[in-house]
Amino acid sequence: MPRSSLIIEISISVLLSFLSGYLMLLVMGYDASRVFTIVLSDALRNPHYLMIRSTPLILTALAFSIPSLTGVFNIGGEGQFYLGALLSLMVSYLLGSSPLALATGCASGGLLGLVIALIRVRRGVNEVVTSIMLNWIIYFLLAYSVTMHLYDPMMPYQSVSVPKAARIGNLDLGPVSVPLIFPIAVLTSIAMYFVIFHSSLGYEMRVVGSSPKSARYAGFNPERVIVISMALGGAMSGLGGSLLILGHTHAIDSTMSGLYGMGFAGIGAGLLGRNNPVGIVLSSMFLSLLIIGGEAAELRAGVPTELADVFIGIIVIVLSIPHLARVIVSRRVAS
Amino acid sequence: MMEDLLNLLSQTLVAAVPILLASVGEIMTERSGVVNIGLEGILVLSAFVSSLVTFNTGNPYLGLMSGALVGLLAGSLHGLISVHLRGDQIIAGVGFNTLAYGISILGLINTWGHHGASPMVSKVPLTGGQAYLSPLLPVALALALACWYWLFKTPAGLRLRACGEDPRSAEAMGVNVVRARFLATLLGATLTGLGGAYIVVGWIGQFTRYISAGRGFIALAIVALSGWNPLHAIAGSVIFGFFDAVSLYLPVKMQLMNPGLNLTSLTYIFRTIPYLAVLLSVSLLFRKGRAPRELGRAYVRE
Repeated sequence: MPRSSLIIEISISVLLSFLSGYLMLLVMGYDASRVFTIVLSDALRNPHYLMIRSTPLILTALAFSIPSLTGVFNIGGEGQFYLGALLSLMVSYLLGSSPLALATGCASGGLLGLVIALIRVRRGVNEVVTSIMLNWIIYFLLAYSVTMHLYDPMMPYQSVSVPKAARIGNLDLGPVSVPLIFPIAVLTSIAMYFVIFHSSLGYEMRVVGSSPKSARYAGFNPERVIVISMALGGAMSGLGGSLLILGHTHAIDSTMSGLYGMGFAGIGAGLLGRNNPVGIVLSSMFLSLLIIGGEAAELRAGVPTELADVFIGIIVIVLSIPHLARVIVSRRVAS
Repeated sequence: MMEDLLNLLSQTLVAAVPILLASVGEIMTERSGVVNIGLEGILVLSAFVSSLVTFNTGNPYLGLMSGALVGLLAGSLHGLISVHLRGDQIIAGVGFNTLAYGISILGLINTWGHHGASPMVSKVPLTGGQAYLSPLLPVALALALACWYWLFKTPAGLRLRACGEDPRSAEAMGVNVVRARFLATLLGATLTGLGGAYIVVGWIGQFTRYISAGRGFIALAIVALSGWNPLHAIAGSVIFGFFDAVSLYLPVKMQLMNPGLNLTSLTYIFRTIPYLAVLLSVSLLFRKGRAPRELGRAYVRE
């Protein structure tokens, strides 16, 4: 698809979601213009926070996009993210090492992705169903661990904390302080760009995604490629959970509100970035802007943060219709 | 002991109803060739709207109808996107789930100023004395039987199944594939909306955040396990209704028996039971390759 129609497609979906969000706010009786000003401007005033919030999203977006290149939908980013966060919290707490914690996060998310892919390849069960079941199972296991075994006796509403030695800090660059987890996420994304577009594995993944039959004809093993892509995707989400814990929250609160929804938002970011790692960095920053804006709107205008979900949901729905952009564009050209 | 069993049985049948309605609806939809991953969103949105309507009118039957209406509207959106505009059905469904969660929580907070739950609303009265049952149970069962009969014993049902297996031939035989798929999507979503409303006015009695708790996806799993057959879906829904009931009933019962025990955290472990049951059963029991052949693929008329 030519770049211009790609940009039109993405703009249409963002505009439509803003329009419907605006109408929804009016219907509910809020000052919609004021809420929009807050949503769109707040994150820009604090680039440090924007980078922190974008980090997990970049990785959960990769978790969705890498498998979808092979035609598999990883809706399990949410569970992989939780597991990565939980296990890297435990490892960092017990061993005090951030590299080990990051590796654990990666491995645990990857393992979940692997399980989902194996059930699909071996048993033919749609990955969407198994992903969601695992999301809920891990959600409850996390809630159990945090409230029952990992809670901080001094602060019972949250888990034990990552020890100082294992935290990932900031890099001071004069006017801005860069949270180190952000460059880690961006570098990971660039690495994935090379895997997808400049490696034989990436080539096999793209062929399997566009036509499993010709992939088999070319001597590739689609099942193997699907399993690898899901494991790689799961590892991304697990890493996202680790980075959030080690670089920002340093603990898990007992309501898990700091983790909830990150995997699902990643689906939106992956689609908005058109499954391209470079696009994903940009789309994640854009969606984080909306999410931070949602938080600010709650504080200052009383609008629930879930407003961001409404935006992301509509963006995803509109992006599911590649045809729509073409219809609108061709009509305009014709008239 | 006898009373416990009766209690558990009643709760099983109560919990089976929304899963049954959603899975039978989805079987109709998928038999026509359209997959609707947005069941979860329909459940939560119709649950919210029916709590709103019932709260304001005091009439749970109006709540049920409004839930079905939400399903109808959601189905027309999904049908428009996946049948008429040939969008990606899975992605559209995922987007709808996110949107529906967002709207329902936005609405919850906006209406009642509470982040977690709505006030209690009036419910459809239960019948059956000691083994309390919802009057909607026979309705759901009758709908499942009717769908089975319609799909497998009538010419119209055969034509609908043809749309999912081989739309090109169906079209050649004079079936309007686009219309049939659209109507099947509407019907499936309407049944799911009824199920969502039931969760509030037939079961829980109030709307809570994330009230559907993955039941839309459990229904999707049952569709696959049933081999796209409404009769098998009845069995599947009752089995998973049982696990659902056990996971909610057991911790309460244990707490009653040992008042000294602190089971709050252990309830989390119990809550994994239905999801584990689904995960294990789909991965162990599912037989490959019985889905409608053109499931999830857009049909392009030539």
